[in-house]
Amino acid sequence: MQADINWLDDPEVFRTGQLLPHSDHRFYKNYDEVKNEKSSFVQTLNGSWQFHFSKNPMTRPEKFFAENFDSSSFGIIKVPGHIELAGYDKIHYINTLYPWEGHFYRRPAYSMGPDKKEEGMFSKAEDNPVGSYIKKFALKPEFFGKKVRIRFDGVEEAMFVWLNGNFLGYAEDSFTPSEFDLTPYIKKGENKLAVEVFKRSTAAFLEDQDFFRFFGIFRDVKLIAQPEVHVEDLLIEPKVTDNFQDGDLNIHCKISVGDAAAGVRFIVKDRDDKILYEKEQQAGNNIKIDGVVFKQVHLWDNAAPYLYRLFIELFRADGTLLEIVPYEFGFRRIEIKDKLILLNGKRLIINGVNRHEWSAETGRAITYQDMKRDVDIIKNNNINAVRTCHYPDQDIWYRLCDEHGIYVMAENNLESHGSWQKAGEVEPSYNVPGSLPEWRAVVLDRAKNNYELLKNHPSIIFWSLGNESYAGDNIEAMNKYYKQTDSSRLVHYEGVVRNRKYDGVISDVESRMYASPDEIADYLSNDPQKPFILCEYMHNMGNSLGGMSSYIQLIDRFPMYHGGFIWDFIDQALLVEDELTGQKVLRYGGDFDDRPSDYEFSGDGLLFANRTEKPAMQEVRYYYGKYK
Amino acid sequence: MENTNEKLRIIYGDGSLGISGSSFHYIFSYGRGGLESLVINGREWLYREPKPTFWRATTDNDRGNGFSKKSLQWLGADMFIDIKNISVRVNDKLIEFPGPPANNKYTGNEYADKAEVAYEYQTITIPAASVKVRYIVRSDGSITVNVHYAGNSSLPDLPAMGMRFIMPTAAAGYEYEGLSGETYPDRMAGGVSGRYKIEGMPVTPYLTPQDCGVHMDTDWLEIIRGTTKNNAENRKENFRIKICSIDKPFAFSCLPYTAEELENATHIEELPPPRRTVLSILGAVRGVGGIDSWGQDVETKYHIPAGRDIRFSFMITGV
Repeated sequence: MQADINWLDDPEVFRTGQLLPHSDHRFYKNYDEVKNEKSSFVQTLNGSWQFHFSKNPMTRPEKFFAENFDSSSFGIIKVPGHIELAGYDKIHYINTLYPWEGHFYRRPAYSMGPDKKEEGMFSKAEDNPVGSYIKKFALKPEFFGKKVRIRFDGVEEAMFVWLNGNFLGYAEDSFTPSEFDLTPYIKKGENKLAVEVFKRSTAAFLEDQDFFRFFGIFRDVKLIAQPEVHVEDLLIEPKVTDNFQDGDLNIHCKISVGDAAAGVRFIVKDRDDKILYEKEQQAGNNIKIDGVVFKQVHLWDNAAPYLYRLFIELFRADGTLLEIVPYEFGFRRIEIKDKLILLNGKRLIINGVNRHEWSAETGRAITYQDMKRDVDIIKNNNINAVRTCHYPDQDIWYRLCDEHGIYVMAENNLESHGSWQKAGEVEPSYNVPGSLPEWRAVVLDRAKNNYELLKNHPSIIFWSLGNESYAGDNIEAMNKYYKQTDSSRLVHYEGVVRNRKYDGVISDVESRMYASPDEIADYLSNDPQKPFILCEYMHNMGNSLGGMSSYIQLIDRFPMYHGGFIWDFIDQALLVEDELTGQKVLRYGGDFDDRPSDYEFSGDGLLFANRTEKPAMQEVRYYYGKYK
Repeated sequence: MENTNEKLRIIYGDGSLGISGSSFHYIFSYGRGGLESLVINGREWLYREPKPTFWRATTDNDRGNGFSKKSLQWLGADMFIDIKNISVRVNDKLIEFPGPPANNKYTGNEYADKAEVAYEYQTITIPAASVKVRYIVRSDGSITVNVHYAGNSSLPDLPAMGMRFIMPTAAAGYEYEGLSGETYPDRMAGGVSGRYKIEGMPVTPYLTPQDCGVHMDTDWLEIIRGTTKNNAENRKENFRIKICSIDKPFAFSCLPYTAEELENATHIEELPPPRRTVLSILGAVRGVGGIDSWGQDVETKYHIPAGRDIRFSFMITGV
């Protein structure tokens, strides 16, 4: 297989050579590693990489992946990180319009007709900078002889990958992991990994989120070795019985088994380390354990996020432990009954926020410490829910939400705002994904990536199909995918209010953004068909968040009103050195000669960009505390 | 604070009315249309005469719904104002205006229990509105300030209405009894009542500088300074002035900048080094809103309709 730069232009090519998406389970060699959360099967590739920046594809060093390529002129970049923040490309913030607005004229492939393939739109674009990354590494000795894969947790927004001159594959979806099998090409000595990252591809039409438009390898990169017998994928289905007393557990496991016979042991423990269930059997490719009954379970919710612990042990016939997969899961039931959203049989009240991953120093390349701090702030202020706007977060975030009882609306990486809303008006003449057949597989792939990675998190109670992408057959297909795949969660999409034709087939809930309290009361007073939530409300831009009481009052007036997610959690602004005083100051769109821009419009957080609370937070703490 | 048996000494100047006691001295200017000097324990508290204030630096919500454009007249009114009339009462009796030559009848040995100077302002809006500010000085040195804005319903909603005091140097901080944090009429439910001491004069660092730092429902407030502009002042310790509510709590902000200075900055670092204290005692505060930032207005009950009279009072004393 050869890399083909024309894939950048083709919405039907978005993953090539990638391993299948799978659950985010970690795996360890022994219980010491489990305890320390340090797996000897993982080797990080974070750190300094060789780097070359090209202004466009035409001027890129095309053969840089070859083993004999002389990269002595390359610079250095830190991985993970954004190429713009390393000083190679201009920082740019724009909200809804596409980032090429006023610079280049573009229409999505096939949007103007089945023959309009728009070849060369990105592969030959002057405004499509390229990052050529090289990482030379030696494999840890304990990886020798094992299957080894590479995992990129997040790369914006299209990449080609080579190892030792051999092409491995191509990936787009920026916010879910991309994995490639290195085993056929990996060497014991020095290996050369080459990654070519493009700022734009057809994915750019789907990733028009209201944020700084960065590119590069911005999340962790790691090598993962796997033992001879390995859990490839894990589905845990904890169900709550109708009496809300007992639990019913299914575990489905995909295992790659080696040549020799191996065994698998399942152990479920409660929080006090008491073994509640144990089962041992021969390892096979597909193992299903269904209907394990747990009497008098602790239910998981915001007030008491009780997690049970599953351990899957894989071992050789002689009993030698090969792999341990620990996973914490919770029993909870989310459903709609009589048009009400019920969690564990009780009406759900969402005291939520929308949260972008953000750091004023490192943009969307945030650390575990940043996330821990966010959890603390969320808990301290009686916030009980987070919408991951508008892409999947680092997977560790969902684990934190499991542990802390934070309800999650897990959103797909999809926003095509600029393709249907122009000058404030609904104008979907070239909307993607719309109903264009060529744009269906790519959005279904994004739905699948999101589901497969995160399917075991009790914190996720809604899948969200995306944000502000209008509505058409392709989003309907995404809705259908989730409904067919996962009965344990609700599906949310707001954009259907822009195209009511799809009301019956997209979204379990009536979701709006920025509806006034009167508009909500109007909906809820006129034979509403679906329970109501606000996926965005209380736009906290600058000195704002006045009048929250009018929303809170709806909770007692209308049982079908289920609260909402404040826009948003943290200002997106960048800490830079002031050119006059040398002081560190926060800058926003337009401050980098970036035009056109939406300027301070990304400053809508309950936190300032430096993670200190805005004065409005005490109001949130008060009102959200009333319905804790 | 004072020996209440003491009487006020009245100085009938040619351009002002001086009022003093053992530890205070006030000068009410005729020509400059306001209280020109407020000296307590030998330290000056005023940089320029307090005047009615009508503007607040545009918030993102104001910008989004066009409020600043609709209420633009009040920006001019905030910067420039006409003085229409000044009257003086001594011991509750209106006296002949004591400017020259009427003041030739005095001797320099006049004393009273109570003196009042009332300034009547007229805004430069079309049509004009009037604001009457009465300063009532009692023998203990306390100054009661009564403000009365007489409404005119053909004017646009007000961004704010209060009295703005500009002090010669930057405050070291302030202390107050009221609600925690920054509060507005439509965002004060989460404020916790208590006594709070604030270091310096924090300007809430919104990405674009805008109105900020309002404290609703305040019982009293003390401004703390450590510096003066008096070259002969040798004392180093902090000193205070106190503003007390009368009848009902007041709202205030204490910032190093005027609304106009905040209005002009697009980033916090563009604001000049804090040099003075801008204290606004507010009789009416507009809500901040928050439904969205691109059109939805602040809820109606948190507007300040121009046709409604606004009356508020507070008392200034030494500490």
